[in-house]
Amino acid sequence: MEFNNSIPIYLQIIDSIKQDIVVGKLKSGQKMPSVRELAGILKVNPNTIQRVYQELDREKITYTKRGMGTYVTEEEKTISSLKEEISKKIILDFVEGMNKLGFSKKEMINTLKEYL
Amino acid sequence: MMTLLKYEIYRRWIWLVLRYAALIVIGAILLNRVSSPAYQYEFIGESIGKFALTSLVIFIIIIVEGINMLKEDLFEECGYLTFTIPKKGRTILASKLVLLLLQLILWTVITIGFGSIFFSKLPYHEMVQIETQTNFYFFPTVLFILTAFFNFVLMIHFSLTLTKTLLVNKKYSGLLSIGIFFFLVYLIEKVYYGPFLNQIKHISIEIGSRSNIDLLSGGYTAVFLNLILIAIFFTATAYLLEKKINI
Amino acid sequence: MEQVLKTTQLSKYFYQKKALDKVDLSIEKGKIYGILGPNGGGKSTFLKIAAGLLKPSQGEIAIDNKEPGVYTKSIVSYLPETNYLYKWMKIKDALNFFKDLYTDFDVKRARKSLKFMELEEEEKVTSLSKGMMGRLKLTLALSRKAKLYLLDEPLNGIDPISREKIITSILDSYSEKASILICSHLIYYIEKLLDYVFFLSEGRIILSGNAEDLRNKRGMSIDKLFQEVF
Repeated sequence: MEFNNSIPIYLQIIDSIKQDIVVGKLKSGQKMPSVRELAGILKVNPNTIQRVYQELDREKITYTKRGMGTYVTEEEKTISSLKEEISKKIILDFVEGMNKLGFSKKEMINTLKEYL
Repeated sequence: MMTLLKYEIYRRWIWLVLRYAALIVIGAILLNRVSSPAYQYEFIGESIGKFALTSLVIFIIIIVEGINMLKEDLFEECGYLTFTIPKKGRTILASKLVLLLLQLILWTVITIGFGSIFFSKLPYHEMVQIETQTNFYFFPTVLFILTAFFNFVLMIHFSLTLTKTLLVNKKYSGLLSIGIFFFLVYLIEKVYYGPFLNQIKHISIEIGSRSNIDLLSGGYTAVFLNLILIAIFFTATAYLLEKKINI
Repeated sequence: MEQVLKTTQLSKYFYQKKALDKVDLSIEKGKIYGILGPNGGGKSTFLKIAAGLLKPSQGEIAIDNKEPGVYTKSIVSYLPETNYLYKWMKIKDALNFFKDLYTDFDVKRARKSLKFMELEEEEKVTSLSKGMMGRLKLTLALSRKAKLYLLDEPLNGIDPISREKIITSILDSYSEKASILICSHLIYYIEKLLDYVFFLSEGRIILSGNAEDLRNKRGMSIDKLFQEVF
């Protein structure tokens, strides 16, 4: 995974994991790699991964069983709201970007239709 | 210290074996020549001379090596390794000096061993001549020479170490070390041996700048003086190595 | 949080030059620190004092609450920039030497690491290329279970393949019980490893902080920040 060093790395990893969950690369209930394992795979500081898992736990996207590991949530609701959250961001980015280019609401919809 | 000593021996074991083997072999060859029935009196002097020369060369090698053992750790990159291992300065110094001491003893034993055999091959009247001329105490003199050279190496070690605490660059370190060394020699001459120069009784042995050493009281006074110097310089050098040097 | 290393107004003068000027810093357990700065800024000097090779001119330094000495040398693993191994050694001699002199040296791990670094034990130390020597030094330093690792420019003059291996090795030796201090002016490759950074220039710390916080606040990579600051 390529990182942009200008943005906090833990945020980038969190986003990447969220994506993987929504897309199905990471299944619900699946065990996440250990902090050390993931740090080694991504070549980042283990404390960064620790922070990632803490954040994900806090958002209830993952849960950590002490001594056993970190697992993806099994709650369907959480995963679908995650999907919503990510898609919402993509759409907002689209709208903002198109706005900047000077597209009106109608123009945006039309252009979008062309590509669907 | 034994671990460090082990490595000091291990890293140069081939050279160690070679040098003493050479001394023994050359001695044996010369001895053999001198022992053969066809030998003539004129040749024994030559053989003794050759053996003495070989012995001297080996001695110089031992001394120079003894000096370099510390010099390389102080002035070369490997010092970064030597001075970051968890050993006290005195341990590091001791391991080198113990090897030096062992070598000096071995050298002495071999040289005197062969020397006395050569000596016994001399025609009777020459033996008597030598004995009456050089009426000295044998054992104290040998000890004196050993302790003197051991101290010599230690004084150079001290000079090098002191240089390393005062200077950080390598540039003038050679000069400073030599300067410190000669200053010490001068100091010792004037302050230490001065009072004892008045008592000259038996044979005078000239070793470098130290002349007319007193060999009274069975000849051990001078040896004792040397041992004190050795103790002083060892303590001082060890202290500097532990607390003061900057590598 | 336990402090593995702490300096108070640490200064080092060489003739008239101030290599370190009243440096105050502390290192905690379980974190990876970067001391970043231009060459000659004092980074190496700092590490050498912590390793016990240089004595402070002024101020104090304590490692595990003790002054640099035999004890600290036994818990500190120092990786110098120079080729510090004895020239008579083969790689296996270096392994044995470390094993004999450091009780915390893990020979098994070292051998594994040598394999990973593609180094042969029978090789003479003098015949190693710069990259190989760098990998060997790192293997030796990281195979110790030390409390504090001091790595002085571990990536200098290292080829890209060796570089990746070195970074992997550093991550492997990370432990919550130990701290790692890396000095480098090649920030781009190591910044993802760092918890906390100190910017050292002309002997003074001019900036310090948590790496991620700095990225957040300044909106740029540590590398960029470094270029800006210097």
